[in-house]
Amino acid sequence: MSTVWNDSTPIYRQLRDRVVAMILDGVIKQGDPLPSVRQVAGDFQINPITVSKAYQELVDENLVEKRRGLGMYVSDGARDALLKSERERFLSEEWPALHARLARLGLSLEQLIEAAKSGEKK
Amino acid sequence: MSTTAMNPIVRARNLSKQYGATKALDAVNFEIEAGRIVGLIGPNGAGKTTALKAILGLTDFDGELSVLGFDPRTQRAQLMEQVCFIADVAVLPRWIRVSEAVEFVAGVHPRFSREKCNAFLAHTKIAPGMRVRELSKGMIVQLHLALVMAIDAKLLVLDEPTLGLDILYRKSFYESLLSDYFDESKTIIVTTHQVEEVEHILTDLMFIRDGKIVLDATMDQVAERYAEVMVNPDKADAARALKPLNERQIFGKSIFLFDGADRSQLSQLGELHKPSIADLFVATMKGTYA
Repeated sequence: MSTVWNDSTPIYRQLRDRVVAMILDGVIKQGDPLPSVRQVAGDFQINPITVSKAYQELVDENLVEKRRGLGMYVSDGARDALLKSERERFLSEEWPALHARLARLGLSLEQLIEAAKSGEKK
Repeated sequence: MSTTAMNPIVRARNLSKQYGATKALDAVNFEIEAGRIVGLIGPNGAGKTTALKAILGLTDFDGELSVLGFDPRTQRAQLMEQVCFIADVAVLPRWIRVSEAVEFVAGVHPRFSREKCNAFLAHTKIAPGMRVRELSKGMIVQLHLALVMAIDAKLLVLDEPTLGLDILYRKSFYESLLSDYFDESKTIIVTTHQVEEVEHILTDLMFIRDGKIVLDATMDQVAERYAEVMVNPDKADAARALKPLNERQIFGKSIFLFDGADRSQLSQLGELHKPSIADLFVATMKGTYA
């Protein structure tokens, strides 16, 4: 597996974001186990501390729970909680920058909707 | 690596080694704690192999060195029960069969598990009846790794373990190490010139140059200390005034590497990035061969 990490965000953070994306996309469902720290460290060739740190973030956010002796599992309600928080984060962090860029390019709402529709048709 | 650790795996105090007029190690101090994966990185002739040899009790030295609480000079036998070593130089005799090599290690090493070793070999194309001379370089390293990973050792020393291997073998080497071997009770010291392949595996980074340790930090500390900024020409002089460690040019822009500079100040100049180990290495070793 060849994974490209960007160098402006810590890797544990990017790993956490990957797991979040997989939960949002339904690739990992509620109640599903997460792969072991060893497994992920081996697959991505990153040190186990980085993996543990990413998992701990998810535990702190109540998205994942640790079951003693069994490993990490996606919590019930994780997807709904994520949708809520990721929507809020998009609106407060990503949208202002995106909005500014759209304004700079002079793109109107109609043009964007048109582009989205033709994209869906393809 | 903090100096307050109770029982470091390796502790060196004024470790020195002289070959004729050359100081291979010049009063080096460092400590390595359990559960770390430490990269010892340096140009050719910097003293890496000498440091490893001292740790393994393969060379005499001046100063103090304690490995797992033992003195490598006088307690090498006890030490070797807990330490494993893989070097790029093949030490397996070419005539030996794979099964004989496994039996040999099982016979001499009390902490060796034949089951573990065979289970690992079962994932490779190495057959028990093959002789070492029939194996490719990649397979010999796999055999080495199988023998070593089956030993429940506290410290694993790797000296250029993937030298001369193709990309597939290199990847699977570190993959096996991380998923089948390493845990927080083990410690790995690795030297390599392929810094990009261990970049994310390491927990600690040590740079060695002319027999001296010029950087000794955890990867988290490295990420905090060093920053790279890509700067437009109009701000280049402002960046130079902040005393960068290094400057290089890409597409008419300057990339500056800073050590310990104020991040809010740097972000005025351009976008901040974490430097790669390779970039950090080049900046630190500037002028080594000049």
